[in-house]
Amino acid sequence: MARLIAKRLVSMVVIVFILAAVMFLLQKLSHTSPVHAYLGANASPQAIARESKILGYDRPIPDQFVHYIWNLLHGNFGTSLRTRRPVRTDLATFLPATLELTVFGLFLAVVLGALLGVASAARWRGAGFFRLVMLSGASAPSFLLALLGILLFFNTLHWLPQVIGDTSYTNAPTGPTHMPVIDCLIHGDWAMEWNAWVMLLLPGVCVALGPAVSIGRVLRTSLVNNLRSDFVRTARAKGITERTVLFRHALRNSLNAALSMTGLQAGLMFAGVVVIETVFAWPGIGLYTDLAIPAADFPGISGVTIVLGIGYVVINTVVDILQSVADPRVALK
Amino acid sequence: MAVAEPFTLVPPRRGLVRRREVRAVGRRAGLGDRIAIGVFLLLVVMAFCAPAIAPHDPIVPAGAPFTPPFHGGFLLGSDEVGQDILSRILYGMRASFIACAVVISSGVLIGGLIGLTAGAAGGWVDNVLMRFTDLFLAVPGPILAIAVVASLGPSFFHTLLAVSIIWWPFYARIVRAEVRALAARPHLEAARLAGVGRVRLALRHLLPGAVPAALVTASLDVSNLIIVLALLSFLGLGAPAPAPELGAMAARGLQYLNQDWWVPVMPSLAIFVIALSANLAGDGVRDLIGDR
Repeated sequence: MARLIAKRLVSMVVIVFILAAVMFLLQKLSHTSPVHAYLGANASPQAIARESKILGYDRPIPDQFVHYIWNLLHGNFGTSLRTRRPVRTDLATFLPATLELTVFGLFLAVVLGALLGVASAARWRGAGFFRLVMLSGASAPSFLLALLGILLFFNTLHWLPQVIGDTSYTNAPTGPTHMPVIDCLIHGDWAMEWNAWVMLLLPGVCVALGPAVSIGRVLRTSLVNNLRSDFVRTARAKGITERTVLFRHALRNSLNAALSMTGLQAGLMFAGVVVIETVFAWPGIGLYTDLAIPAADFPGISGVTIVLGIGYVVINTVVDILQSVADPRVALK
Repeated sequence: MAVAEPFTLVPPRRGLVRRREVRAVGRRAGLGDRIAIGVFLLLVVMAFCAPAIAPHDPIVPAGAPFTPPFHGGFLLGSDEVGQDILSRILYGMRASFIACAVVISSGVLIGGLIGLTAGAAGGWVDNVLMRFTDLFLAVPGPILAIAVVASLGPSFFHTLLAVSIIWWPFYARIVRAEVRALAARPHLEAARLAGVGRVRLALRHLLPGAVPAALVTASLDVSNLIIVLALLSFLGLGAPAPAPELGAMAARGLQYLNQDWWVPVMPSLAIFVIALSANLAGDGVRDLIGDR
């Protein structure tokens, strides 16, 4: 177990390093030179040369690469071409909201995925209905869910607030974490706590549904196969109830595939987060990315990519470790 | 592939339940599968006939802006500049299908080549190639694609390039797994003993065995790909403004959601319809090929 964790930690570092190298390469391939973009179209050649020297763009490429990695190690992601602030400051401002949405979304995805998987694999009347729900969920782009959710719950039923810019939200406590759900709890502001959850609900569901369906489908396939296997037949023959067979025997053996899927889906979920933050004007790094794209703000985008890349690698490492807990044979491989 | 019918092993149960099991296990392509594939092909044909069947030009205003659906000759309404949403959706579907075809065929080609080489060669070649593949699977693909397009500049071609870069590793893994499984079979041993060369062995004896698995994966992949491409297009990474792309139409219509809901909802629904149809057809193809 300790060996597995150590191995995973080493490969985490390697992967993040390579991701950083790819970002450096993309910056070099980019059609916009950061110096030109920063100084504007009318900058004099002297100014460009001076700025290139300050930013180190006149040095040989390997030298620049070492410099780039050195800066990254010190948390220096460069300067955003759009906001003219250090990308690190921008990320620190926008990350808490994304963290709140992503953690909630991932939690929902896992819970919903497990429910959908079990509900559609178990032998009962509603299984067919749940398969239909999963097929539809797998086909809906996350922004369609967001649009329909807004139309239904905001415009028609008036249940949920549409955007975070709601006026009732302005005097919310700004606590240590900058995540309203946690800050309000720390400050003991229950009305605002309720408000924060209501705000989080629709974006969270929109982010979670796609991954939940993928997790559910994999879990279902795996469960159906396991329910047909010899050890389940033996368990049934012993007279164990169907529920115990399902939860104690089949489910644990099916967890592995579902866990891998959870790790894989995190990547797609991040893309979903970017889109959903755009739709709901959620003040996270997804919205930041959406604003950075038309501005060709590559330092901003590469900062977001590296942060999300680290998040993805961490999630997958956790998944690997959980897999070896669910199925000890994994650690032996 | 001759596999003994597995459902005969399941002890008989009450009627309803048993029929469902047979359907799930037997995986026979039924009428439903054929209909699903037919509907999907119909959508593809419709999309490619867009210039002939679209009632209006997709990038020229054809009437009053914000006409609701079923009014003023607009079946799905008109958008903020009075373009016909139905015509734009048909052209947008064509762009989606072209993108899918390009990304999937490049994925099958690159992934197939790498998977076949790795699986057929074995040893250190296999190790190096699979480590390389795993590296691609270890980074969040869609996010990497966003960064690639952002650095090269938004365009339809760059989106295809970026998604192709992240899409092939799945195929490499599947083809490699199939090839490895096949390599252990006796007919390979026989061919090797008969003096068949490495290249011929890979192309004639291993590759055909991996085709069904790759095809099934590809057919189940179409809907995912349509959605990922729509997400990138939604973020403004596809073709620039007037071009009819489903994701971009939804993104640009977002601001009109409260008054004129059909402007963003219709293109999003179109994505849902083609993705759902692709999902059903993918299941159908899987059942027809008879492989899991």
